[in-house]
Amino acid sequence: MKTRYIYYVVLIAVLTSCKPQITEFEPSSGEADFSSYVAVGNSLTAGYADGALYKSGQEFGWTNIIAQQLKIVGMQGEFKIPYMPDDLGVGFAGGVPATKLVFGYTTDCNGLVSMGPVLADSNANTTELMAKVLKSVADKGPYNNIGVPGIKVSHLLMPGYGVFNPYYGRFADNTLTDVLIDEADKVNPTFFSLWVGNNDVLGYSLSGGAGDTITSPALFELAYNEVISHLTTLAGKGVVANIPYVTEIPFFTTVPYNAVNLSADQAVTLNQAYELYNQTMEAAGLSYYIKWSKGDNPMVIWDKEMILPEVLSQFKFRQMKEDELVTLAIPRDSIKCAKWGTVKPIPDRYILTRSEIAKVYDATNAYNATIKSAADQYDLAFVDMVTYMEILRSEGMVSDGVMFSTTYGTGNTFSADAVHFAPQGNALVANMFIRAINEKYGSKIPQVAVSEYPGLALP
Amino acid sequence: MESWLKLLSNICNLRVQKILKVSCMRKKLLLILVSVFIGVNLFAGGYQVRLQGNKQTGFGLIGTPLNMGASSMFYNPGALSFSENRFNFELGAGGIMSFVTFEKEGSNYQAETNNPLSTPFYFYGSGKINNLVSVGVAVYTPYGSTLKWDSDWAGRFIIQEISLKAIYFQPTISFNISNVMGIGIGFVYSTGGVALDKALNYGEHSSVSLDGKSGGFGFNLGVYFKATDQLRLGVNYRSLIMMKVTDGDAVFTVPESLSGTIPKENKFSAELPLPANLDIGISYQATDKLQVAFELDWVMWSAYKELTFEFEEKGELLNSTNTRDYEDSFIPRLGVEYRLFENLHLRAGAYYDTSPVNDNYFSPETVSLNTIAYTLGLSWQPLPFMSIDLSYLQTFGLKSTMNYEPDNFSGTYKSAAYIPGLGFTFKF
Repeated sequence: MKTRYIYYVVLIAVLTSCKPQITEFEPSSGEADFSSYVAVGNSLTAGYADGALYKSGQEFGWTNIIAQQLKIVGMQGEFKIPYMPDDLGVGFAGGVPATKLVFGYTTDCNGLVSMGPVLADSNANTTELMAKVLKSVADKGPYNNIGVPGIKVSHLLMPGYGVFNPYYGRFADNTLTDVLIDEADKVNPTFFSLWVGNNDVLGYSLSGGAGDTITSPALFELAYNEVISHLTTLAGKGVVANIPYVTEIPFFTTVPYNAVNLSADQAVTLNQAYELYNQTMEAAGLSYYIKWSKGDNPMVIWDKEMILPEVLSQFKFRQMKEDELVTLAIPRDSIKCAKWGTVKPIPDRYILTRSEIAKVYDATNAYNATIKSAADQYDLAFVDMVTYMEILRSEGMVSDGVMFSTTYGTGNTFSADAVHFAPQGNALVANMFIRAINEKYGSKIPQVAVSEYPGLALP
Repeated sequence: MESWLKLLSNICNLRVQKILKVSCMRKKLLLILVSVFIGVNLFAGGYQVRLQGNKQTGFGLIGTPLNMGASSMFYNPGALSFSENRFNFELGAGGIMSFVTFEKEGSNYQAETNNPLSTPFYFYGSGKINNLVSVGVAVYTPYGSTLKWDSDWAGRFIIQEISLKAIYFQPTISFNISNVMGIGIGFVYSTGGVALDKALNYGEHSSVSLDGKSGGFGFNLGVYFKATDQLRLGVNYRSLIMMKVTDGDAVFTVPESLSGTIPKENKFSAELPLPANLDIGISYQATDKLQVAFELDWVMWSAYKELTFEFEEKGELLNSTNTRDYEDSFIPRLGVEYRLFENLHLRAGAYYDTSPVNDNYFSPETVSLNTIAYTLGLSWQPLPFMSIDLSYLQTFGLKSTMNYEPDNFSGTYKSAAYIPGLGFTFKF
C-alpha cells in the first residue's frame, strides 16, 4: 500500500507539469498607448456610491477597474485616485454632510420593519464630516482619476471651481484659481476617458424639476467641445460615453405612480371628498377628473404647469399618469400615514411630470448628439450607455451568473443611493468601456469577471 | 498428466476456499473503497466512466467483442458463459488525476480545477453452473464526476464543487447457446448521489449546498457471437437508469434579511439520467499472438434534457429548470493485444469521444470536451490461477470555446486526465 502512495506522489509531481495550457487571449495595446491614463468626469468617474465618496467605493469604481486591466497592456505606475480616508465617506444628502448609505432595517410609521437604505453612521458629526471632505490631499497628487462628484460639463472649465465643490477643492493645488480640466495635464496622459454630462440633467431630475436647471444644449455643446478638444490635444486617444436617460435609474423607477392602496370604504370617502374638484373642473370645461377605487390608485400631485383659469389657481393638482415618475426621495411614511397622495397632493419636488420628463429627454438627446459627433470628429472610442441602460431596464443583462437589472436593492447594478453603481455594476460598465476601446483601437485589454466583485451587502 | 491435473484442481479447491476467505476480507476493503469513493472525473463524455476492467481499459476500453472473464459482466454479459474456468474473480481500481483549465472569453482570466484523486473500482465474481449457464455478481462505478473549482473563482455562482457518484450492483446470468453464441443479462440496482456547492450573489458568504442520495433500476443485456475461430462479434445494451434524488438536503447560507424568504434548511428533489449505451464490437485473432478489435459505442445522452431542482419549501422561488439538451455521442475505439509470452499480454488502444454537451449550455459543472485518448495495458500471469492487470489511460480534452447561455458564462476549456489502473484476476 505504501509503495502505491509513493507511486501516486511521483506521478502527481510529474503531472503538475502536464496541466492543460490555454493561451487564447493575448493582451495587447493595439494602436493605443495606455502608459498614462487619465479619467475625467463626474461622480461616476470618481467612484461615488451609496450616496457618498468613500475609499472602497473609489477602489471599485469602473475607472479603477479599467486602470488595473490597462496595467496588463502597458500602463506605467499607479492609477492615482484622491482617496477618501475611510469607508464611511462623505456625501451630501440635501446639502448636509452624511456618511454613506448601507442596506439596513427601517421601521415605518405603522411599526412595520422592512429592509431599506440607512446611514452607515447616523450619529456622525457633520462638522467632522465636513472637515474630512475639506482636508486637502493635493500634496499626494497629481491624480489620474480627476472625477469630481456633482460636476456639469462647464465646471471642468471654470477657474476656482474647487471653492464651490469640496470634492475638487480637496485635490486642487490652488483652490481659488485652478481649473479642473488642467488637472489632466499633470499626469501627461496618453489615454483618457470622459463620461460627463449626466449632472446637466440629473440635478433637475433629482429635484423633481423643482430645483436646479437643465443646462442649455448650446452651452453644453460649447463646453463639451472645449473639453474634448483639450483632452485629445493632450492625450490623442480616448474613450467617451453618452448619457443614459436618467429616468431609467432606480431613483425614479422604484416608487410606482399608483402607490396609494385603498380599501373600498376609503375609496368611497375620497370620492365624496373630491366631488367638488370634479364638479368644478367639469364646469370649467376641463378634463381633469380624480377617481378612487379599491386597490392601487394613482397619487394626487401638485402640478404647477396645469393651465387653469385664474380663479382656480389653488386647484393645480391632479392624479398622476402612468408614465410619470416618483423620486425615491419621497417620504413614504407620509404616503402611508400622513395622507400624501390622497388628501394632500404630493409636492412638486418628488415628481417628474410628463412635461418635465420630456424636457429631460430633449436635453439628453441634444447632449448625446454633441457627444457622438465629438467622438466621430476626434475618432474616439464610444460607449453607447443609452442602449446599455435601456437593455438593463427592459430585459436585464447576465454576466458570469450575475443577473443585472435596474431594480433597486436586488438588481446588482446600482448601489444603495439608486443613482450610482455598485461594485458589480461598475465591473459591468468597465467591460462596456473595455469592449469599446478594444473595438476602436484594435487593442486587447482583458475584460474582468464581474462575479469577482462584491455583491450588494444585505444585512 | 491426468493425475497432475487432478492434483492441480484439488489445490485449486483449497485455493478457492482461501480465496473465498480473502474475498470476505475483500468485502471489507470494498466497503472502504466505497467510503473513499469520490466520484470520477470527466475523462469520458458527460459524466460516464468506463473503467470497469483493467484488461479492457488497456485495450482501448473495448470489451464487447472480447471474452475477458468475469469483467464481461459489464462489457458483455453474453461472453460470460464462454469462460474456460469454473470460477472467475476480478477486482481492481483506477486512480484518476484530472485537470481542467478555463480561460474567460475576452479576458486573460484563467482558472484551474483542483480535483481530488478519484478512484473508480470494480469487483466481479462468477461461476460456471454447467457448460450452458454461468452466473455472477458485478459491482462497478460507471458514472461519476468530481469537479472542484476554487470557491472564489469567476464561475462561483454556477458551480464551486460537484460530485456525482453511482455504484451499480448487477446479478448476472449468461447462457452459452451451441458454443457459438452467448446471451447474458444482468439486472442492475444503482445507488449513488449528487452533492454540489455554489455561491449565491447575496453577499460575501452566501451559498447553497445540495446533497442527495438516490437509487434506480435497469438492466444490462449482451450477445456474444463466435463467427469463426478468429472472428468474434458482440453487442451490448445497458439501459437508462434515472437517478432520482428525493428528500435531499439543501442548506442555504444567506444574509439575515433574506432568512424569511429563503429557509436555511430545505429538502430538494432532482432527476439525473444515467444514459443508455449500445456498444457494437468486432475482434479478430490475426495471428496466434495478435488480436485486434474495433468497437463503436452509442451513448444515448439525448436523454439528458434538463436538470430540474424542486424544493419542498418556497418552491415557487427556488425551483429551477436548467436546460442541458445533450446530444447522443458516438465513440469509435480501436485496440490490439499482443501475447508476448503465454503469461504476458501487452495491450494498446485509442479512441475518440465526442462531447455530448450542447455548446450553448456548456456549464462548468460538467466539462466534457471532444476527447482523444490512448491506452496501454498488460496482464502478467505469475501463477496459473492469477494475473495482475495494469492499465494506463491518458485523455486529452480538446480546447474548445463554449458558452453557458443562462448565466452568460463563456470561455475556453481544455482538459486532461491521467489514469493508472491496477487489477487482479483469479480463475480456477
